[in-house]
Amino acid sequence: MAQNVTNVSQTEEISSTRRVIAASSVGTLIEWYDFYIFGTLAKIISEQFFPKDNPTAALLATLATFAAGFVIRPFGALFFGRLGDLIGRKYTFLVTLVIMGGSTFAIGLVPGYKAIGFFAPAIVFALRLLQGLALGGEYGGAATYVAEHSPTGQRGFWTSFIQTTATLGLFLALGVILIVRQTLSVPVFEEWGWRIPFIVSAFLVGVSIFIRMKMSESPMFVKMKKEGKTSANPLAESFKKKDNLKMVLIALLGATAGQGVVWYTGQFYALSFLQNACNIEFEQSNTIILIALVLGTPFFVIFGALSDKIGRKYIMMLGMLIAVIAYRPIYTMMYNEADLKQKTEIREKTNVSEPKIEVKGTDTVTTTVTKKTFTDGTTYKETVKTTIPLDEAKKAKLAAAGKLKPETKKAVILPQNLYYKMIAFVFVQVIFVTMVYGPIAAFLVEIFPTRIRYTSMSLPYHIGNGVFGGLVPLISTRLVEASRPAPGLPPADPLAGLWYPILIAAVSFVIGTLYISNKTNNMDVE
Amino acid sequence: MSAIKKIAGILWSLMGIGIVPLVIMQAMKEIAAKPSEENWIFWSIVIVVLMPIISFSLITFGIFALKGEYDVLE
Repeated sequence: MAQNVTNVSQTEEISSTRRVIAASSVGTLIEWYDFYIFGTLAKIISEQFFPKDNPTAALLATLATFAAGFVIRPFGALFFGRLGDLIGRKYTFLVTLVIMGGSTFAIGLVPGYKAIGFFAPAIVFALRLLQGLALGGEYGGAATYVAEHSPTGQRGFWTSFIQTTATLGLFLALGVILIVRQTLSVPVFEEWGWRIPFIVSAFLVGVSIFIRMKMSESPMFVKMKKEGKTSANPLAESFKKKDNLKMVLIALLGATAGQGVVWYTGQFYALSFLQNACNIEFEQSNTIILIALVLGTPFFVIFGALSDKIGRKYIMMLGMLIAVIAYRPIYTMMYNEADLKQKTEIREKTNVSEPKIEVKGTDTVTTTVTKKTFTDGTTYKETVKTTIPLDEAKKAKLAAAGKLKPETKKAVILPQNLYYKMIAFVFVQVIFVTMVYGPIAAFLVEIFPTRIRYTSMSLPYHIGNGVFGGLVPLISTRLVEASRPAPGLPPADPLAGLWYPILIAAVSFVIGTLYISNKTNNMDVE
Repeated sequence: MSAIKKIAGILWSLMGIGIVPLVIMQAMKEIAAKPSEENWIFWSIVIVVLMPIISFSLITFGIFALKGEYDVLE
C-alpha cells in the first residue's frame, strides 16, 4: 500500500515537472522565434525601414542589429532579474513574454519609410530595443523556474529542454520564413509578405500567455518568501558582495563567454559562411542549417542528462576544446567542397543569357545571367545587374563617384552528395553547441543562491551569449575583410573570421578547466 | 593546483590591463588610415562595449584568483 502511494506521488511529481517544462519551454521558444525573425529578415527590414541613402537611418539599422542583440540584453537581465528575485519568477517572465510578443507584432504593422519617413526606422528601433530587453529577462527566469521545480540530480536533464528552445526558435523562424516565402513568391514576400512571420507571433504569444497564466510560482521562491528570506536588493547583493561577484566572473569567463561564441559560430556564422564565403544558394544554405539543427537538437537533452551523471564541467569544457581544435579543419572542408576553382567545368553546358534591358522608374537595368555546370554535379548561376540612371547628369555624377559598378549575385547549388556532406559539417558544429549549451542552465542555477539567482545568473548568461557571442558576426566579418590584400580582391584567408571564436573559446576553456568545480550537479540548490 | 590558480591569476590581470592600450592603439591606427563611418561604428562598439567587459572582468577575476578566492572550488 505504502509502495503504491509512493509510486502515485512520484508519477504526479514527474507529470507536474513535465507541465512546468512544457509551459516554460513554449514561451521561451516563442521569445527566441520573435528575436530571430528580425535578424533573419534584416536585409528586407533594412530596405523597408532603413534606406541606405539616409545616413541616420543606416546608422539606426546597424544599432538595431547590434544594440538590441547585446547592449540591451544584459540590461534586461538586470531589470527583470531583480524583479524576479523580488516579486517572483512566474509574473516576471510572463511580463517579458507580453513585451516580446507585443513588440514583435507591432514591428509587423509599422508602415515603411516611404509612408511615414523617419518615424518608421525610429519606431522599429525602439521596438527592437524592447525585444532585446524582454529577451534579457526571459531566459534566466525560465531556467531558474524549471530548475527550482526539478529534483536534485535531474536538473541537467529538465533544464536542457529550456536549452533546446534557442535552437528551436531559430528553426521555427527559418521554417516560417521559408514557408511564407515559397507560398507567396519572392517579390510578394519582399513587398509585404515578410510582415506575416511578425504578425503570426501574436497568436503564438497568446497561446503561451494562456499556458503560463495557469502555472504556479516556483516552490523554492514561495518557501523563501514565506520565511521572509527574499533579498531586499538583489542587484547590490549579486554584484557588490565578493562571494557572489566571484561566481558571476567565473560563470562569465569560464563558461558563458566560450559557450556564446561556440553557439553563434555553430549556427549563425555557419549560415553566413555558407551564403557569403561558399556562395551557396539561399534555400539550399538555409535547409542545410535547418536539417543540421533538427538532427542536433536531441543532443541538448542527451548532454544535459549526461551532465547529471558525470558533472557539468567536463562536458562543457570538452565541447569548447573540440570546437577550438576542429573549427578550422571543418570550415576548410566546407570551403573546399563549394570552391569552384577546385572543380572542373563542363564548358559545353555553359550558358550566358542575352542581356535583358528594362526601364525601371528613372533607371535602365541591364541583367545578364551566366549558368555553369561542373563534372561533380555542382551548378553555378551568376546574375549581373547594372543600373544606370536615364538622367545624364545623375549618371555622370554616379560614374565620377565610382557608383556605377554592376551588382553581382552568385549562387552555387551543390549536388546531393555534397549537400549531405555540408549538413554533416554543420551537424558536427551543432553537437559542439549542445555540449557547451546543454548543461549550462543547470550549472548557472547551481552556483547562485535562490534569493538572488534570477539576477545573478541572467547577467553572465546575457553578456556571454549576447556580447561575446553576439559579436561573432561583426568581428568575424571584420577579420575576413582585414585579410583582403586590397579592396575588391578575395580575402587571403577566408577562414580568418574563425580566430575570434577560437580565441574566446580557448581562454574560456583554460579558465573553466582551472577554476570551475565539477561537483555542482548533486548540490542542493535551496 | 592552488599555486597554479594563483599564478594564473597574475596572467589574467595582466591580460585585462594589457588589452586596453592594445585595442585603443589598433583603433586609432585603423581609423586614421580610413576614417569611414563603418570604422567608427566598429571600433566604438569594441571600445565602449567589449573592451571594458573583458578588461574589468579579467582584472577582477585575476585579483580574486591571486587572493585564493577560487581555491575552495574543486
